[in-house]
Amino acid sequence: MRNRSRRGWRRVFNGVNLATVLVFLFIVIPLYWMVATAFKTPANVDASPPQYFPSPLSVANFHDAFVHYTFGRYIVNSVIVAVVATALVLALGTLAGYAMGRTPMRGKFTVLVILLMISVFPEIAVVVPLYALLRDIGWLNSYQALIIPYTAFFLPFAIWILRNYFLAIPHEMEESARIDGANPLRTIWSIILPQALPGLFTAGIFTFTACWTEFLMALSFDINNNYRTIPVGTALFGGQFITSYGDLFAASVVAVVPIAALVFIFRRSVVSGLTAGAVKG
Amino acid sequence: MSTPSVPPQPVLLPPAPERPAPPRDRRRGDVFRRQQARLGWGLSAPALVVIAAVTIFPICYAIAMSVSNVSATGSGFSLSGLTGNNYSIIVHNAQWQYALFFTVFYTVVTVAVEVLLGTCIALVLERLSAGRGWMMALLLVPWSMITVINAELWYYAYNPVYGIIDNIFSHIGLGAPVILGTRTSAIIALMVADIWKTTPFVAIIVLAGLVMLPRDLYEAAEVDGAGGWKVFWRITFPQLRPTIALAVLFRVLQAFGLFDLPFVLTSGGPGYSTQSLAILAYNAMFRDLDFGPGAAVATSTALLVVIGCIVFLKVFRAQAGTEA
Repeated sequence: MRNRSRRGWRRVFNGVNLATVLVFLFIVIPLYWMVATAFKTPANVDASPPQYFPSPLSVANFHDAFVHYTFGRYIVNSVIVAVVATALVLALGTLAGYAMGRTPMRGKFTVLVILLMISVFPEIAVVVPLYALLRDIGWLNSYQALIIPYTAFFLPFAIWILRNYFLAIPHEMEESARIDGANPLRTIWSIILPQALPGLFTAGIFTFTACWTEFLMALSFDINNNYRTIPVGTALFGGQFITSYGDLFAASVVAVVPIAALVFIFRRSVVSGLTAGAVKG
Repeated sequence: MSTPSVPPQPVLLPPAPERPAPPRDRRRGDVFRRQQARLGWGLSAPALVVIAAVTIFPICYAIAMSVSNVSATGSGFSLSGLTGNNYSIIVHNAQWQYALFFTVFYTVVTVAVEVLLGTCIALVLERLSAGRGWMMALLLVPWSMITVINAELWYYAYNPVYGIIDNIFSHIGLGAPVILGTRTSAIIALMVADIWKTTPFVAIIVLAGLVMLPRDLYEAAEVDGAGGWKVFWRITFPQLRPTIALAVLFRVLQAFGLFDLPFVLTSGGPGYSTQSLAILAYNAMFRDLDFGPGAAVATSTALLVVIGCIVFLKVFRAQAGTEA
């Protein structure tokens, strides 16, 4: 480590710590503003000049967001879509990642490059044809209208991540499993998967976050109030009612906290995924 | 910081060459290899079928729409004729020209600021002796935040009546500007919101790269008495370049598809001064029902992204090749 040894007051008050505090404030102040607004009374939310600290503290906004408005519905929708899509991505991605990482599959390099291209392809280019397709088969305003496209669009990145983890697993155990007569699916399940668990976490968190935050497809395919996900519900919130930012941020706090907690807990997996290559934009 | 089993940045490097098959009983070996190869396709088939069904078809259909006369019918679209009209319409359209300029300008400025700031943050946190794990976790919070919520948050902060930013401006004697009301300030406001959300992402990538740099060069530099700046430019930066290049690539791709943030924060306004290519395509298709030109905007945007990506990979690989 290049940390010079510091003594006395320089151990606490030095350039590095000061800069860290600035970074901390840069990130936390906007987050604070969201949380503080959520806990203001509805009247104080629009106060001018604004209240820097909520006083009195109130949970009225939370009550309104979930009782008067249908934010609870949006959160349920987001959870259903994100959980099912993530499960599908992990199931299909594990098989494909194993194939590309550990079998002499012909043409796999081409497939991997095409997957990379698809994962950077701008969503806007495919939204209208997909809309037409979903309309033809009567899937607009349904969970599968998002689950299937999310699965397809977030699979390529998951395959890349999983493949990298599979590549690193030694071959010996797999070979002995085969000699013992285990079939390929059995081998993947009981030999490969346990060793690739960190990779599954990483791919899972990335996919879940991508599903949770995706906006354009959700806006185009599931506009019906019963199927809106959190981003769509939040974006269209001001359009229908007189915008109440207190309610909006109360709901946002509830939407941001679970994913932030998840990322916090699995920060090692997330960081290793970021450095392992890519994040879908 | 990262799990050692994952090599850094493999995406940009060609996949490892196949190990030459060990010499063995030729016939049995070949049969086994062929079996394994077939198994590979069998296991990938479900994933590839889903991906192809949902992405390849729409991509082809979007390209077809962009070169046809499209009319919306009750049951879908009807495409007729092969025409370059849609492209000549958009190329001569002032909104498209502006959107292209705006998207490129926005991408260049935000990515430059984010990489500069993100690298500084990473350099600071790398020297932090305690609490680095917590700071990294904190950096992940803006990254995981829903962009639409980020946009609403800044919209609220920019409000001329009760927004915190105007309040601060009037405290320091700058009056109370209508931030989202003029072109320059709206563009800056948009960039600030973007920089807040994505700089931490760049910082994490760079920090992870920094942590993995070998230590011995630094020790040698210290023995030679090299100063901080010299060490950074001569040792840290050259080794960090692939990591920074990776961060730039992902940020550029993301920024070029800019949609969520201006959709909520400015609706592309005032006028069309913050209308990105993606917003323009969306408005053309979903609001004005101009499907042909809209598809042309979307397809040309995608084409620019793919070309940019290929050029980047070529340059990057050429560079990696000369350095190796």
